[in-house]
Amino acid sequence: MSTDTARPMTRPIRIDGKLVLKLVVLAILGVLIAAPLLRILFETLSPDAIEAWSDVTSGRLARNLLWVPLGNTLILGVAVACGCVLIGGFLAWLVVMTDVPFRRTIGLMATLPFMIPSFATALAWGSLFKNSRVGGQTGFLEGLGLTIPDWLSWGMVPTLIVLIAHYYSLAFTVIAAALATVNSDLVEAAQMAGAKRGRILMGIVLPVALPAVVAGASLTFAGAVSNFAAPALLGLPVRMQTMATRLYGLIEVGQTARGYVIAILLILVSALFLWLGNKVISGRRSYATITGKGGRAKRFTLGAARLPLLLLAGLICLLTTVVPVVILIASSLAPSSSALFSNWTLHYWTGVSDPSIAQGQAGIFSNPFIVSATGLTMSLGVAVAITTTIIGLIVAYVLARDGKGPLAGIINQVSFLPLLVPGIAFGAAYIALFGAPIGPFPALYGTFTLLLIAGTAYLLPFSVQTGRAVIQQVSGDLDESARMTGAGFLRRLTSITVPLASRGLAAGGLIVFVKIMRDLSLVVLLFTPTMPVLSVLAYRYASEGFTQFANAITVVILVISIAATLLANQLQSKSQPWLKS
Amino acid sequence: MIRIDNLVKSFGPSNAVDGISFDVPQGAFLVLVGPSGCGKSTMLRMLAGLEQPTSGTVTFGEKVVSDGAKGWTIDPAQRDTGLVFQSYALWPHMTVAGNVDWPLKVAGMGKPERQARVTEVLKMLGIEALAARYPNEISGGQQQRVAIARMIAPRPSILLFDEPLSNLDAKLRVEMRTELLRVHRATGATSVYVTHDQVEAMTMATHVAVLNKGRVEQFGTPEELVQNPATAFVATFVGTPPANLVPISILPAARRGGLPPDGLAMYRPEDIGVSEVPDATTVAMDFAEASPVAGRTMLTGISGALRITAVVDAKPRLTVGDQVHFVLPETPAALFAPSGERLS
Repeated sequence: MSTDTARPMTRPIRIDGKLVLKLVVLAILGVLIAAPLLRILFETLSPDAIEAWSDVTSGRLARNLLWVPLGNTLILGVAVACGCVLIGGFLAWLVVMTDVPFRRTIGLMATLPFMIPSFATALAWGSLFKNSRVGGQTGFLEGLGLTIPDWLSWGMVPTLIVLIAHYYSLAFTVIAAALATVNSDLVEAAQMAGAKRGRILMGIVLPVALPAVVAGASLTFAGAVSNFAAPALLGLPVRMQTMATRLYGLIEVGQTARGYVIAILLILVSALFLWLGNKVISGRRSYATITGKGGRAKRFTLGAARLPLLLLAGLICLLTTVVPVVILIASSLAPSSSALFSNWTLHYWTGVSDPSIAQGQAGIFSNPFIVSATGLTMSLGVAVAITTTIIGLIVAYVLARDGKGPLAGIINQVSFLPLLVPGIAFGAAYIALFGAPIGPFPALYGTFTLLLIAGTAYLLPFSVQTGRAVIQQVSGDLDESARMTGAGFLRRLTSITVPLASRGLAAGGLIVFVKIMRDLSLVVLLFTPTMPVLSVLAYRYASEGFTQFANAITVVILVISIAATLLANQLQSKSQPWLKS
Repeated sequence: MIRIDNLVKSFGPSNAVDGISFDVPQGAFLVLVGPSGCGKSTMLRMLAGLEQPTSGTVTFGEKVVSDGAKGWTIDPAQRDTGLVFQSYALWPHMTVAGNVDWPLKVAGMGKPERQARVTEVLKMLGIEALAARYPNEISGGQQQRVAIARMIAPRPSILLFDEPLSNLDAKLRVEMRTELLRVHRATGATSVYVTHDQVEAMTMATHVAVLNKGRVEQFGTPEELVQNPATAFVATFVGTPPANLVPISILPAARRGGLPPDGLAMYRPEDIGVSEVPDATTVAMDFAEASPVAGRTMLTGISGALRITAVVDAKPRLTVGDQVHFVLPETPAALFAPSGERLS
């Protein structure tokens, strides 16, 4: 071809803008995500730390350091995944496929528990079921004269219940969304074949929804094994250790190398199951949804079972949403959690220091430390929301513009890596990397910057998703049709791109803000008295026996989170296809 | 035989199907045709037993299978019918063979028998090579064949089709029309076929029911509908191209003689000519479009809301917006009252 010869022999070295941008993005992701994770691995491989591996896995203490916590963690993970899929799946089936009354309300209620931080639910459990085994105040039920056995008060059972009550809404959301795509034609085709209800459920509905069930199970499993708050509040007092609490304990007492080993193992456990779940789903060729016209929603008639099932669903929803919140509020007002609804006082909220109550602790609004912590937590939330949204948008943009090639593949993988890493292990990795000075940079431990970059990295997967959705919405036809009218780049940016994108970005940012507000597991290791974060304060108060203060702080977190979530929903005018009648 | 007697289905205050009655003999190919929302899909679902009639009865052979007044209806599976859904409704988690096999399994057929039947119907539809594939791995036309294979496998005596070709492209649609007729003949079953496309109705049916607003406008053979439309709606709905209805008030003076003062006159496209000059037998229109049809030209003019289509031998040289004069024959082929019913 003549073009070949016509091309100048020596091309000027051109700076490839795309490539540069990709490298910059990769560098950012490398520092934020890959470096801490690699660092924590190498830290345990250094000559003075390498024996931590054998200590943890086979040494004299291995049983207590690793194997028992690992066993507890796995029991929790499996049982929580089963419970969540059962409850979430049941509610999803009820809301999406049957004619149960108040479907919309049940559907909304079932998504709420995930917005209530798990330490809130755990604190509420304590206020109700605490017995006198570990001293301090007893809970409301003992106050009523009941005797609460240890197994219901502490340890595995309450941890399990609290985690299921928290995570089932995750399974509900995933399964409900999948069931909503099951065309009612599929069910009617089975009816035409003469299958009875049970056979339709087992032979058609369940298999079609199986990927969602597996996804729900692996997500809730990963959530349960990484959860720190529930086992710490309900299990630690009776020395029930999970990997998350063991990791926390080891780092707190300065055995960092052993802690890092546990952190790496925890990441492996959590990632393994997420990966397995993903493999089960993507390994089957049969599951791309087939779309087609038609498909009117025809619902199972429940008949006589309608009311009992409604009551059951209502009970589940109330027990996991309204009840914990009411208990938290009541116990932040009651001097004694054994008498939740009497002698209410605002002391724990606004009272000034009084040596006769709670060792002279002032109410949370009169405690300058807590007031400044509130401000700090909110600024942290806002700052993380902004930085992560910007980085997420850039990553999404780079991937959308040129998603091919090995570089884009790496960017994609690394940006979603934090999803596989439990928050507490991520926190440990950040200490490993930034706990000591690096070259000219000072140690970041105990600074706002550390919390900010850790939060940004941890929540990046969410903001990349937001960024993708926004770019998908904005780019393509809409932008091109504006281009066809002759509008210039700036004009398109201001009148098409920004108005379309801003709502989605703001909503995504608010979700990140909420996640930071109520996060405990990531920040619990990064916490220092100079950088107090509300959730850790609540946890500290609770473990020191000042439950009223802990509950009051939790209520503050709840109020801020719920307000931000509602605002985000408003912005997204969130579509919930499964609620359509 | 299928007998439908005064069938009504209401959703809330409105009647989707509003008192429909007709009979079709064993082995017929009945097409229910009409614009969207005319109640044809609801009719089909009542035949399938997926909806219960509000009143009226459905009888298959000697057996009443749905009785609205008594409020009972025989289960879909007990009616000896098969249904092809518009979306095909293939179960995505089963292979092609699995989809065809499952209804037989539910029916309790033995394994060797099932295997033989599955192979037989897959072969009949020419998709035996796809047996191990999943629905999302095959094309739309192939999915269509699987849906038909799944329907006929249990040998139902009534085949129901809900707009089965509407998701296919034009060429495939024509092929599948032939294929469906072949399946219909090979099974000897009675078929009921729902479509909004009158071409499908005219080419496939032995009997056609034209539905509009939940009622039957006309029931008959395709020839009867075209030759002898019972209402103005049918006249303009069937035929390629459909007949023209011209308000008598705008007819040229020489053509108005002996006709009632208002109402609609029907002219067939092949009876209308075109001319470049006006006279006492022409109607002036704006030229809109022309297309070649089997060696002749189909030519359409518009004037306000009125469209007239003629099929003529030679294409006049016209561009859009030119005046064209349609020459009307001596007498209209039919007359309709302003309300739409047939006058003569």
